[in-house]
Amino acid sequence: MHASMRPLARVALAAMVSSCALADDAPQFDRQIAPLLKAHCVKCHGPAKQEGKLNLSTPADLIRGNEQGAVLVPHDLEASRLWKQVQTDEMPPDAPLTEDQKSLLQRWIQLGAPGLPKFGATKMSGDHWSFRQLKSSTVPTVVQADGLINEVDTFAQTAREAAKVNANPEAEKWALIRRVSLDVTGLPPSLDELECFLADSSSGSHSRMVEYYLASPQFGVRWGKHWLDAVGYADSNGYFNADSNRPLAFRYRDYVVRSINQDKPFDRFIVEQIAGDELARYAPDQSVTAETIELLEATHFLRNGQDGSGESDGNPDEVRADRYYALESVMQNTTSALLGLTIQCAKCHDHKFEPISQLDYYRLQAIFYPTFHIERWVNPKDRFVFAPLPDEQQRWEQQSQDAKERAAKLRRELADWVKDHRVRGDVLFEDGFDSVSERVEDQWSDTAPGDDSPGGSVAVKLDVESPPAAMIKDGKLRIIEGGTQGDSWLSTKAKFDWTPDTVGEAIQVTFDLIDKQLQTDGPAAFRIGYFIALHDFNDNSATAGGNVLIDGNPTEGTALHLDYPGSDGRSIGTLGTTGYTPGQNYGVRVTNIDKGKFRIEQLVNSFPDEKPVDVRAGDLPDGGFGFEYCCGRSFIVDNVLIERISASPKEDRLLTELKKRHEELAKAVQRRKELADNRPGKIAWGGDMASDLPEVHLLTRGNYSSRGEIVQPGTLSALGDGASPFAVTTTHTGDRSSGRRLAWAEWVTRSESKAAALMARVQVNRLWQQYFGKGIVTTPDNLGMSGAPPSHPELLDWLASKLIQDDWSMKSIHRIVLNSATYRQSSHLQTESFKADPDNRMVWRNSSRRLDAEAIRDQMLAISGEIDLTIGGPYIPTSRLESGEIVAPEDITGSSRRSLYLNQKRTQVVSFLSVFDAPSIVFNSVRRNTSTMSLQSLSLLNSDFAVRRSRAIATRLQRLESDELNRLTLAFQIFYCREPNQNEATELIRFLEHQSKLYSEQSDARDRAWQDLCQSLMASSEFMYVE
Amino acid sequence: MTFPFENTSQFYRRAFLSQYAGSLGGLALAHLLQSSDRVTQGKEIEKRSNVGRAKSIICLFQHGGPSQMDLFDPKPELTKWHGKPYPGGSLEVHFDKQMGNVLGSPFGFRQHGQCGMELCELLPHTAKIVDDITMVRSMNTESVDHESALRLIHTGRFLAGMPVMGSWVVYALGTVNANLPAYVVLGDPGGLPVDGQRNWSSGWLPAVYQGTMFRSGKSPVLHLETPAGVVEPARRNQLQFIEDLNRRFLNQHPESSELAARIANFETAARMQTTVPEILDVSTETESTRELYGLNRPETKEYGTRCLLARRLVERGVRFVQIFLNGQPWDTHSKNAESLKGLCARTDQPSAALVQDLKQRGLLDSTIVLWTGEFGRLPVSQGTDGRDHNRHAFSLWIAGGGFRQGYTHGATDDFGYKSVEDVVTVHDLLATLLDALGIDHRQLTYPHDGRETSLTDSEVTKARVIRQLLH
Repeated sequence: MHASMRPLARVALAAMVSSCALADDAPQFDRQIAPLLKAHCVKCHGPAKQEGKLNLSTPADLIRGNEQGAVLVPHDLEASRLWKQVQTDEMPPDAPLTEDQKSLLQRWIQLGAPGLPKFGATKMSGDHWSFRQLKSSTVPTVVQADGLINEVDTFAQTAREAAKVNANPEAEKWALIRRVSLDVTGLPPSLDELECFLADSSSGSHSRMVEYYLASPQFGVRWGKHWLDAVGYADSNGYFNADSNRPLAFRYRDYVVRSINQDKPFDRFIVEQIAGDELARYAPDQSVTAETIELLEATHFLRNGQDGSGESDGNPDEVRADRYYALESVMQNTTSALLGLTIQCAKCHDHKFEPISQLDYYRLQAIFYPTFHIERWVNPKDRFVFAPLPDEQQRWEQQSQDAKERAAKLRRELADWVKDHRVRGDVLFEDGFDSVSERVEDQWSDTAPGDDSPGGSVAVKLDVESPPAAMIKDGKLRIIEGGTQGDSWLSTKAKFDWTPDTVGEAIQVTFDLIDKQLQTDGPAAFRIGYFIALHDFNDNSATAGGNVLIDGNPTEGTALHLDYPGSDGRSIGTLGTTGYTPGQNYGVRVTNIDKGKFRIEQLVNSFPDEKPVDVRAGDLPDGGFGFEYCCGRSFIVDNVLIERISASPKEDRLLTELKKRHEELAKAVQRRKELADNRPGKIAWGGDMASDLPEVHLLTRGNYSSRGEIVQPGTLSALGDGASPFAVTTTHTGDRSSGRRLAWAEWVTRSESKAAALMARVQVNRLWQQYFGKGIVTTPDNLGMSGAPPSHPELLDWLASKLIQDDWSMKSIHRIVLNSATYRQSSHLQTESFKADPDNRMVWRNSSRRLDAEAIRDQMLAISGEIDLTIGGPYIPTSRLESGEIVAPEDITGSSRRSLYLNQKRTQVVSFLSVFDAPSIVFNSVRRNTSTMSLQSLSLLNSDFAVRRSRAIATRLQRLESDELNRLTLAFQIFYCREPNQNEATELIRFLEHQSKLYSEQSDARDRAWQDLCQSLMASSEFMYVE
Repeated sequence: MTFPFENTSQFYRRAFLSQYAGSLGGLALAHLLQSSDRVTQGKEIEKRSNVGRAKSIICLFQHGGPSQMDLFDPKPELTKWHGKPYPGGSLEVHFDKQMGNVLGSPFGFRQHGQCGMELCELLPHTAKIVDDITMVRSMNTESVDHESALRLIHTGRFLAGMPVMGSWVVYALGTVNANLPAYVVLGDPGGLPVDGQRNWSSGWLPAVYQGTMFRSGKSPVLHLETPAGVVEPARRNQLQFIEDLNRRFLNQHPESSELAARIANFETAARMQTTVPEILDVSTETESTRELYGLNRPETKEYGTRCLLARRLVERGVRFVQIFLNGQPWDTHSKNAESLKGLCARTDQPSAALVQDLKQRGLLDSTIVLWTGEFGRLPVSQGTDGRDHNRHAFSLWIAGGGFRQGYTHGATDDFGYKSVEDVVTVHDLLATLLDALGIDHRQLTYPHDGRETSLTDSEVTKARVIRQLLH
């Protein structure tokens, strides 16, 4: 081949060469001519722009020509206007074709334009190779049949022969087991596995090894991740910077791993994800089986896209746009992951490069619209159902009942204990609100004792219900606050001396806090306020001070104000540490502590809380006790009791006991709350949001406010065929689901159809990509007309057919590929083949590949012996350090689990993973870049993660082998699956010795040297690559 | 290292790419040179790159769509019609339900400099550099959606996942400082801009060309510090050992550009540990420089520091520096006037200071400074006091690198709604910027998806170099 050919021409020629053995040596339409026209002509003469009313993008249109007639006449160059204009460089206008390209076109026309359908036989605009039904490919015969294992090899060898490249021999055993183990499970082989395989020289050893790894539950973790990337899975909502969490998404992730491990037929896998709920005919609140639960979990697939609608606080248009965005995401994820098509362009206009019309786009939108019903929107966090198994539900109910009873019992016991042990004084005031009259006014007033006006600009009304008011109901006092009247109070009619005369003497007030709201669904008071020394609302009395407000806070720390309300009021700190929660007794005690000072302590269940505040006598004039009215804080109290205590009570021992009882009660309450919050069976599903069938409109130019015609659900017309009709079956009465998704899922999975053919091609292509670094089609996200052409079209179709034939068993395809000689080739360089095919398109070797981010991290944890292989469950949280680094904190349980189980938060990708190209999932991701950056080196040299792993592996090695020479060999086996050769062994020893010397100042020099050795191996290319 | 078959074109290109990725110039050039049918053009490019004045670009990206009629493009008609229904026919409005009447600019405009360029009163510092800049008042773009418009101006295309201009430039020119990434993004400590990292993604160009984000604060790049207890001689010995291991592996796969690049990267990484902290330490700058950038005032300090860092990076050979703002502050859907005051107070002085400073140091000729957003705003109000998106007109300015000085290009209609005179598309802008760097936009291509692709895709977009903008 000529040394300096343009890449395009080179590809075209390579394709030409490869096709020689298949047919005659005529240029191939699909692989050479169509791409040529696409690259140079279709921009102006294509579906988007048909200059001169000419479209060269499809065989049919190419044959049709334009108004002036045919542009292409087979066998007749002179009559082919296309050729004339290309020959004279008239077309393409800006960049004429190269001589190679011209001669290709010339020969093709001369030979009768092979590959074009018979003239006049087609009018399909979607006649693209990947949109065709699958025909069973005949396995070709090859010249060189040695060393072929299965059909993959026959196809591959045919292509190699055509391209004049030779297959590499099989890789060495150690390299093979490492490759298979990492490719299949994302983990390196264990020492035992390695030893066992190397020792097995019998004929079926490779297949057995393959089966072993395919059967490992870690296979599902590895390949589950590939699928989850393809469908855009994340543990957060994304879209906005808020990127709120999706705490239940993990159930879908676990469903995927489980399904892949059990090799669920791929068609079933798809139907479940798109329409599991419809398949199960599920309606919320119906009782469910384990199977239904699985089907509901599967539908989270529909919700994988970004969804900012929960955080959307913009104007109505923005809100609508954010909702549409979620709907469009599911469409994009579905078509990309299943069909390898890019449809987004068709949102605004007919697709320029693909046979996808705008109408197609909105027909598809109508499929998913009921789930993302723009007018009946449900925010992501509220889109769930409770679907527990009956015994799960029963167990939870029982536990909840038990927890409730236990809390009640402990509370009763506490109350009894308090009653027995609390300090008793002389009762100065008592109201249990149990009087026959049931009148508040018996003992209470809207005015402080002795004041000249009521407390508040709007005075509290007694014994009525309209706020601000106080009334007795069910033997309890209701503080009814209206919210807008400003401050006011309810005071005792009686006044009290709040400054006891002798040191140690005290006065205390206590009450039961019954509830923080008047009705169960009413607003909860965010403060419980009450006063002592109430005497003057308007600050017009001769006596200063007083009106001491104790402003109880539900969480902790009670604010204390003097002379409240009014401009002279002032805050004097916080009192106590306990929050105000219903069901407890609260209050304050004022004790004379000598020298004119008085100590205010908060009482919780009649015993003093920590953190008192001291005040002076002048702050506490004689006055009433009362409750504060303010800002919508309504609450219910009972048993107000004011007592005088003559001497300092001795409470220390009792306080310890009380604390213990409090803690016990708090634990029981917490348990009750946890159970209430964790009702079983909560599934974030993708069911339809409303039972009414939405009208779905085509949006003119994709503008959300320009509604065009009403569109019915349907399929992509380019994939339409007789083989798979699309029909929404009417749903039975009471179904709240439209049945549209199920109809679409059945359409896309019907074996004989074009849709299923495309879907199968897309899946086997991605599988191939994982095993060879590149797909048969190098654009796995695009098998459409603008995608790359396949390097091995027949092989791709054969694998796709095989997948369908084998009842959509993906493992069957894994097995075929992994056992093939093509996969088992070594990665080594072969000069002749490399010269002919440097990009290895003809797969004359299995190229060495850098591991992806997850495999790098998991492998490090695996060889250090730290890895936790637990499968499933909620994600392990990650956090952002001050430096900006994102880590799974080492002190968190689960931080050494496989990367799949770390929080897949879109805006917070673990730094160690993102530096090795783990994507931040915005849309889906079916192909990873492999970048080579200095930041990776920095990460391997200096990150805490790398340093810790090096230390752990050094420790593990030391534990496994005390002899240092043997240990070096072991290190190589653990890192590389092979033993060091003589030179390497010498160098290892030299490094170890030298490094120890360089650390000689430090006591742990040898350990450090070993750690550095391990870190170096960890950073080495051989460790980061599979060969 | 010697390669066994240097004559194999593909191999040569790959080896070349990898060897010099992010360290030496001329990558695309090398790629072009080895294509036989383009040798002539390739040589032409080589010559042109010698005459191209600019060697680097600093892009001060103003997210959200700065309001052209309030900042750069005075429209007396707007004031006249203020509060009345828009008389100019139909408008393309993003949030159509909230469209109000004509909204005049509350800000005064005055002529500045010898060229007499008109600027709004909120830009007293930009006013000082008008004789150094080209003002383009006739920009347009194709989308009123932030993300799409961002991608258009950065990558020339709507869809996500395409390479940005910075990546193309570095692919074409490489860098001259092996100790630094060629393409640096100075992120806002307040957070990522809208569309996040895609604003500096290399798309399907090799990842070495993607922007490297320098964070504000102590660790601009993660893991610059050697772990505690590792002594320097030991680290050096370890690096040598890693290199030996990696070289042995490379010898088994001598054709692998990635493996060669890995070796180089460890060297670069080690050097970055000392060079990066030095560059980011602005305490060595004189007091007058610090004052020029507004480092002494709280409202300009943060953005000013990043503008100053941009100069320091360009000085040290970084090719492409981009400054982003968090979120999209110029997106003034409500309280347009009030928001602009705050934004100008934050960005006017440092942006102008950068141009002044580069000029003083003789770096302005070789450095392009680009100040732009992704689109403009409408002449009518959104709600009572906001402005909605407008793709038909926006303004931007460019300084240095061979762009004309004291020149105002193009015009919008009487209301500033549509660019009507000497219209410049975003594709034209990209083509012109490349030209100023000595790169023919039609020839800067990369094989992708079976065809040669380019930043400007001029066959489709009709991108052309706007000669009037250049000397």
